[in-house]
Amino acid sequence: MAFPFPDEVLEHVFSFLHSDRDRNAVSLVCKSWYEIDRWSRRRVFVGNCYAVSPRAVLRRFPEVRSIEIKGKPHFADFDLVPEGWGGYFFPWTASMAVSYPWLEEIRLKRMVVTDACLELIAKSFKNFKVLVLSSCEGFSTDGLAAIAANCRNLRELDLRESEVEDSSGHWLSHFPDTYTSLESLNISCLLSEVSFSALERLVGRCPRLRSLRLNRGVPLDRIASLLRRTPQLVELGTGAYSADLTPDVFSSLSGAFSGLKELRSLSGFWDVVPAYLPAVYSVCSGITTLNLSYATIQSTDLIKLVCECHNLQKLWVLDYIEDSGLEAVAASCKELRELRVFPSGPFEAEPNVALTEQGLVSVSEGCPKLESVLYFCRRMSNAALCTIACNRPNFTRFRLCIIEPRKPDYLTLQPLDVGFGAIVKHCKGLRRLSLSGLLTDRVFELIGTHAKKLEMLSIAFAGESDLGLHHVLSGCESLRKLEIRDCPFGDKALIANAEKLETMRSLWMSSCSVSFGACRLLGQRMPRLNVEVIDESGERPETRPESCPVEKLYVYRSVAGPRLDMPDYVWSMENESSVPI
Amino acid sequence: MDTSSPSSPSSSIDSNHNPPSSPSSSSFSSICLSSNHYLSSGRSTSAMRTRRGLSTDLSLCLSTSSSHQSQRRSSWPPLKPLLKSATVGRSAEEEWQHGSASGLFVKVYMEGIPIGRKLDLLSHGGYDDLALTLAHMFKTTILCGKRNKAPSDKYYVLTYQDREGDWMMVGDVPWEIFTSTVKRLKITRADRC
Repeated sequence: MAFPFPDEVLEHVFSFLHSDRDRNAVSLVCKSWYEIDRWSRRRVFVGNCYAVSPRAVLRRFPEVRSIEIKGKPHFADFDLVPEGWGGYFFPWTASMAVSYPWLEEIRLKRMVVTDACLELIAKSFKNFKVLVLSSCEGFSTDGLAAIAANCRNLRELDLRESEVEDSSGHWLSHFPDTYTSLESLNISCLLSEVSFSALERLVGRCPRLRSLRLNRGVPLDRIASLLRRTPQLVELGTGAYSADLTPDVFSSLSGAFSGLKELRSLSGFWDVVPAYLPAVYSVCSGITTLNLSYATIQSTDLIKLVCECHNLQKLWVLDYIEDSGLEAVAASCKELRELRVFPSGPFEAEPNVALTEQGLVSVSEGCPKLESVLYFCRRMSNAALCTIACNRPNFTRFRLCIIEPRKPDYLTLQPLDVGFGAIVKHCKGLRRLSLSGLLTDRVFELIGTHAKKLEMLSIAFAGESDLGLHHVLSGCESLRKLEIRDCPFGDKALIANAEKLETMRSLWMSSCSVSFGACRLLGQRMPRLNVEVIDESGERPETRPESCPVEKLYVYRSVAGPRLDMPDYVWSMENESSVPI
Repeated sequence: MDTSSPSSPSSSIDSNHNPPSSPSSSSFSSICLSSNHYLSSGRSTSAMRTRRGLSTDLSLCLSTSSSHQSQRRSSWPPLKPLLKSATVGRSAEEEWQHGSASGLFVKVYMEGIPIGRKLDLLSHGGYDDLALTLAHMFKTTILCGKRNKAPSDKYYVLTYQDREGDWMMVGDVPWEIFTSTVKRLKITRADRC
């Protein structure tokens, strides 16, 4: 270029690129664009903490203010990843403490965060503002106390579904009296009671507080006094929603709720007493997000509440809502975009509620904007899936869990291949799919043929042979994450598509038919893949015959090489010399 | 491929693959109770010998088996722990609400099992009794003083949180003092103690 733009101009142009993918593309254009991007990148997302070393990230992006990192595989949510697997945040925080004194935001998912990490964060980053720990573990309220005491500019503290060791409910009182910057607090995962007076004082002195999600330990009769101090709330998670029913409590509660003019999101409702639900009716018309995953109440009470919320966009609810409730949702919630229905009796042999495929059919008919579904039920049919697919070609996420593995179409006793095939055929923009029920290799052929935008696929108890896996790996060109359990997929498909794995973030296979020898071959052939076998039998890799099937396999691309923090039961397949033959 | 023939995959359904009728329908782990037991991960026998003097009067050691079955049972259907405890734990909650007013209910959590349980301490006569209840509750087998029968890789000990919020080993103090100070129980991996 004869007259290149000055760097400042390009930097300004780049600042309008918000997606990581666009920034990455820009950095590949030429050396000078690479450099401009490098120095102006403020946010970094690391989808797998073992895919790159902290040092490499720090070296390339010296001016980062916000970092997001993910640790364990997704199946860790469902107890498939053993204790002590890894995903430690400490190496990251230790490096960043030195290189990023101006770091403002840390968002972590499924990582092990110790109190030492939290203490280091608290004292290293002078202008620290956002800490989001989603499904993390390893820390206690002592670490949170350090954050509270030292991070004067903290805006957001969100513990989501983390597992926090409660050593004291008094950690909230470590926020100094002069601290007023809190905008968002989510402590819904804490098991023990927090100091209510400390909470009340904190909430009262933070005028910008928009989001407050309490835990089960906060009793209903105390909430009213909190809410009166926070009329500006946009998101509220209640604590336990029960108390002895008295007119006083009820009227004070409904008075407090009616003052929340900005409220858009409601959650919590542990131990809910239905008689108290009308207290929230006054704010329902403004509610767009309603999470009733913990509200164990019957259909009629749920229907009354949900139908007050005409502008609902996102609904999470237990299957107590039943088919009749979902029909009511379909009739009254025309803005609904996301629906999740969870099972109330996941381990019961017989249905405990009247929730079937019909509920989902109703919602797909009645809610034209519906694009994301997670649905647990006990029966399904190809006909229903075809109807759903035709009704809602705009699905981007479709996750269906039929509770009994390998359950066929309950009407025809056929596999559900045709039904799921209809989903991928009609929903061209589908990015996430979870399969269940009886499925043959045919469904994977359909997925490979049609699901060109699919990024994440979860498979359980499905397929017949290697062919199934081969169709997916060779056909789904946008696939980034594939997780498989209890399927007869094995070596051939894996080895034949080894190159494909380098274009993906990760592959998880447990209780499948992959042999130890194939894992070793994969590791040797693909140096940029980390191939890890998880074997809890207590034996050593060298004692394993080549043909022996592996318990669990986790494969991910990495520019950092094999990780060094593996527990005994994780065997890295990278290094030939470590496995004498 | 003939999609109308589900016989091959359906014929492979067996009891392993069916969801259990209750979360604890199989033996998850074994509980080991001995009167003079040391807390150890079981890796180093010499370390165990040197720690014998520091042993508690009683300890409860649980070792979980990592069998496929138990994993499948806790990992299917795929539900996050908080949700599982909110729904499955409800029956315990109801028991708690309708139980006798004179009971002393405490929660018990076991590491690796997201679902907490509640038990009435006052209906127990002592530590042995408690051990039996826990063995039943977490579907375990009691091995009285026969530690060598337990699988040797992982051990668990019973700890409790007292009124001051400190975590202590169960068995250090007389039963009556224990019941007057205990807030909740946790079955923890021994190597984390």
